[in-house]
Amino acid sequence: MTVIRLENVAKTYRQYGSPFDRLWEVMTHRVRHQEHVVLETMSLEIGEGQVVGLVGANGAGKSTLLKLIAGTIQPTKGRVHVTVPIAALLELGAGFHPEMTGRENVYLGAAVAGFTRPEVDLKYEEIVEFSGLLEAMDRPVKTYSSGMAARLAFAVAMAVEPEVLILDETLSVGDGAFARKSFDRIIDFKKARKTILFCSHSMYQIEAICDRVLWIDRGRVMMDGEPSKVVTAYAEFLSTKSHRPEAEAPQEASSFQEEKGLARIIKIKVHADGRSDERLVLETGLSSLKVTVHFEGGMNIALPSLGVTLSGAHGGPVTSASSLDDGLRFKRNDHETYSASITFQRLALLKGNYWVNVYLLCEEGIHVYDSALRVAEFEMVQQCRELGVVTLPREWKNLDPGE
Amino acid sequence: MKKLLSGLSPIFLLFQQRFLILQLVKRDIVGRTSGTLMGGIWLIAQPALQVMAFWFLLDFVFRVRSPGRITFLDYFLIGMLPWLFFSEVLNRSLNVLSEFGALYQRSRFPVSVLPLLPLVLNLVIYLPIYLIVAIYFQGLMAGLKAVAVLLTLFVWAIPFAYLLAVIGLFVRETRQVFPFFLTMVLYVTPILYAPDMLPESVRWAMAFNPMADVIALIQGVLHDFEIERGHWLRPLLLWLALLTPSWILFKRTEPHMREVL
Repeated sequence: MTVIRLENVAKTYRQYGSPFDRLWEVMTHRVRHQEHVVLETMSLEIGEGQVVGLVGANGAGKSTLLKLIAGTIQPTKGRVHVTVPIAALLELGAGFHPEMTGRENVYLGAAVAGFTRPEVDLKYEEIVEFSGLLEAMDRPVKTYSSGMAARLAFAVAMAVEPEVLILDETLSVGDGAFARKSFDRIIDFKKARKTILFCSHSMYQIEAICDRVLWIDRGRVMMDGEPSKVVTAYAEFLSTKSHRPEAEAPQEASSFQEEKGLARIIKIKVHADGRSDERLVLETGLSSLKVTVHFEGGMNIALPSLGVTLSGAHGGPVTSASSLDDGLRFKRNDHETYSASITFQRLALLKGNYWVNVYLLCEEGIHVYDSALRVAEFEMVQQCRELGVVTLPREWKNLDPGE
Repeated sequence: MKKLLSGLSPIFLLFQQRFLILQLVKRDIVGRTSGTLMGGIWLIAQPALQVMAFWFLLDFVFRVRSPGRITFLDYFLIGMLPWLFFSEVLNRSLNVLSEFGALYQRSRFPVSVLPLLPLVLNLVIYLPIYLIVAIYFQGLMAGLKAVAVLLTLFVWAIPFAYLLAVIGLFVRETRQVFPFFLTMVLYVTPILYAPDMLPESVRWAMAFNPMADVIALIQGVLHDFEIERGHWLRPLLLWLALLTPSWILFKRTEPHMREVL
């Protein structure tokens, strides 16, 4: 069953010299604007239970498309049909007032989301229970941490019991354990065969949970189909355009989280042939690369798994390894800290500069608790004259009949 | 016909969205009074101080005399409080759409309830004050009349609130000029003085000041002064003329509101 249908929908933003020009145009129907196309005419059907990921560069029109479906903006042309309740998590906690208590804000937030008083009375307990903030409900929201406020807002948004969930850029809300909980709620959503639309720069997440991916570029749907196909095509496009995917855009050497009790990376060491000099130089086919990761397991959650990727000059990963897929399991200990190392023996990468990225993921390897992007750079040097990024094991045979 | 009646939509909205409106009014009151020592008292203290300043100036300094046999304070308060209610509503209406922009910019929200907020908010503040003042000077009957007066003024102010909400958002300059404009209207309306204190030569001009009619009507109802037909007919015609156009203008500009901020 189709739950969302876009019929020849297009969106043009109009640029006006001043707000008054806009009013004048509405009243007199005289054109006083310049047009700027954000979405070209497109038709689209999204079926019940589909998990649709949107990929594309910033400004490609992904957010506009989501807003059109969410109904926060109107199309310039065409029609958007949505037959079921939608929760758009584009902005959480709209209307929350920091001076008001958690309880008052639940009522306020629910009113803004379209509830009547008896409906909120009915849902209140459920909302509080899901947020896990029972003790904090009588305190003003300004005394909450930002994570707590996000939890409350998310709990209110989920109270709508939407059939369609729209998420912009984020698959998880709040901090640590709650981020995991909200992520689980989204996975539950998927399992309950409900519809999810989201955009993300993480190709990994897109491939991991979507059934369908839309690649949008400059307001047009470039490709629409199976995640693996679309993501591959999109990654190709990015590398030929020598764009960097934004998820891998240069960040601080580490983005370690500060809060306690959460799963987080503590320390990463990278060795080339046992040395950890400032400049790591490795020889193709001879050197080994060892990455050692120390992390905290986080309380109240299943022990995480690790992911390591090596990325090249184009930004995309050249190879990746996951502790989950490779069968490494951690055992819970009293210190709640864990270490693991991964060694790439006789590294087969060809000359060039490469980066090491480390991810701390949930036990299913989907949700990212923490990441450290580009924690170390290393240079490959080679003796041979091979071209490309990798040297592969091979065998030549002379098929000369005279032999 | 349907289009004409659409002008009444705000009144339906008021009922339909009462929970949302009350929640937002509460939020606003909390926002304005939190962190102050006296809290909610400021909501009443502010207009009270303003009223006292005028009272001092007019009654003791200028010795303005009131019409009929009532005290000046009685005359003055019965006209001044509705004026304060009305002018606060208009002032706030200008800003209401940008102030609450966060609510409708990124989520679905019935934007058309927003101009009702200043109305409800100020009714909550002024209705009890007005009721007490009327009962104190004129007795219980006057209390009933005072409630009726303020509720009527509430309904009368609806098209103005919608109109100003749109203008305030799209023509920013009005926010600078409007307070001055309101002060001028106050001075040319017999609120701070009795109508017969106006020179004969300019009295005819009062027919062009709808506020003069409204105040004359209010004074007439509460102090049993003579009510001329024009006092209710002109404001009624003005209201009817603005009601539907202001709603239609609001609805037409609504899709633009999200983009203008």
